[in-house]
Amino acid sequence: MASYSTNEFRSGLKLMIDGDPCAIVDNEVVKPGKGQAFNRIKIRNLKTGRVVERTYKSGESVEAADVMDTELQYLYNDGEQWHFMHPETFEQMAADKTAVADAHLWLKEQDVCTVTLWNGNPLAVTPPNFVVLKVTDTDPGLKGDTSGGGGKPATLETGAVVQVPLFIAIGEDLKIDTRNGKYVSRAKD
Amino acid sequence: MSDPSDKPLWQASASFELIKLRADTLRTIRAFFETKNVLEVDTPILSHASITDPFIESFQTRYLPLTKKIHTENFYLHTSPEFPMKRLLASGIGSIFQIAKVFRQGEIGHKHNPEFTLLEWYRLDWDHHQLMKEVEQLLSSLLLPYIDLAETHFLSYKHAFINTLGINPHTAQRKELLACLNQAGLAAVLDENESKDRYLELLFSHVIEPTLGIAENGQACLCFLYHYPASQASLARLGKDEGQIVAERFEVFINGMELGNGFHELNNAQEQRQRFVQDNKIRKKLGYSQIPIDEYFLTSVDALPDCAGVAIGMERLLMVMSQSKHIDEVLVFPFERA
Repeated sequence: MASYSTNEFRSGLKLMIDGDPCAIVDNEVVKPGKGQAFNRIKIRNLKTGRVVERTYKSGESVEAADVMDTELQYLYNDGEQWHFMHPETFEQMAADKTAVADAHLWLKEQDVCTVTLWNGNPLAVTPPNFVVLKVTDTDPGLKGDTSGGGGKPATLETGAVVQVPLFIAIGEDLKIDTRNGKYVSRAKD
Repeated sequence: MSDPSDKPLWQASASFELIKLRADTLRTIRAFFETKNVLEVDTPILSHASITDPFIESFQTRYLPLTKKIHTENFYLHTSPEFPMKRLLASGIGSIFQIAKVFRQGEIGHKHNPEFTLLEWYRLDWDHHQLMKEVEQLLSSLLLPYIDLAETHFLSYKHAFINTLGINPHTAQRKELLACLNQAGLAAVLDENESKDRYLELLFSHVIEPTLGIAENGQACLCFLYHYPASQASLARLGKDEGQIVAERFEVFINGMELGNGFHELNNAQEQRQRFVQDNKIRKKLGYSQIPIDEYFLTSVDALPDCAGVAIGMERLLMVMSQSKHIDEVLVFPFERA
């Protein structure tokens, strides 16, 4: 089993901790002047997203997590699983609800997403930073209001609900920032 | 403050402003010691022998004669100028100080660089309490133009443990220490058979140290912690405090960070030799290399006059003055740029 020594610790390194794949967020050497050195790390659990602290004696080794990011094209949802395809090998892969989590709100067919694989299976899905989605429902637009002063909720084709300016109408394509779930602009053709 | 890691590697990591801060600070320190008649000295960086501390590792190199045929013995880069400075003291030179580049293997991180600068000084006929007062005077005068300081704390190692963890570190049983580690989520870090000092060090560095040098109102202050366990005496003499044999050793902290370490210096060669031998035994047990004992130093120890000495990390001090988060912000070319 591959492992990393504490002197290889750095942000982004993937480790197995308590049976879960984790990524190092911060690595700090704690070395009293005359005492033993420790590495205190902050780690994000890649399954739950929780960040916790751990301490290791410097020089110890920790099991590596076989985690890698791949760029896959989203195909369709069959009601239970979300299906992706490698754009070059055409190899297909299915992710369950736990892996997709909130990303399902932004998954549009044909879009290329980052799928994090753990031991070859999807662990997490990250949509593109910006997606273009069609408005399927919103209150009627106020004609002539282009000030953007007010706002109203709009439902998008994926089921996501975002705050949009009053002038947006059903059927329009909107550019959304998936990192904060906010409306950016009308999509330009 | 700009993040130095964004700069190309050939460029200085420290800003010109902080390079100048170092120059100004060194000038102020030299002026401070001049007014006090403490002599500046310059001792070798390269030595035949080194320290035996189990958890400080020296850089080693080989001497190559001009024939370039055979490398002779090992030489060590010093980890502090302590031994040669004490040999000068044993010869009767009087109070001295030095600003020296020192080297320690493996120590790299937010607060560590393998090459760093120590300000080290020794005061004749003083004990550690008198020296702590002078350290306070110097550090306060250097820091006050840059940060507000609350009143200085003077606290024994024992009372720091009682205040934070409710245990007496000198008498606590392994079971109590383990319970404290458990509560701090650190129970799994050490093996069961490790010595009590390893338990104390872990609790100290993770639970106690982060609270030192911070006043109740959250303001920064200097905190002097003194009277360490006798087993952590290093080169300090032993004394008694509240009926307990302790090391007359101190460390100074600010904002949860150690700035320096001082001793009321041991001047008994036999006792010092025993500690070096014990260090090498611990090193052997841990699988670390054996370090030759510095006989020049040991021969001088019995002649060492009553004195106290301290070493302050210059980069740590500059970090506090400039409120830097990473040591690279105060180093011109840190390890990866050197």
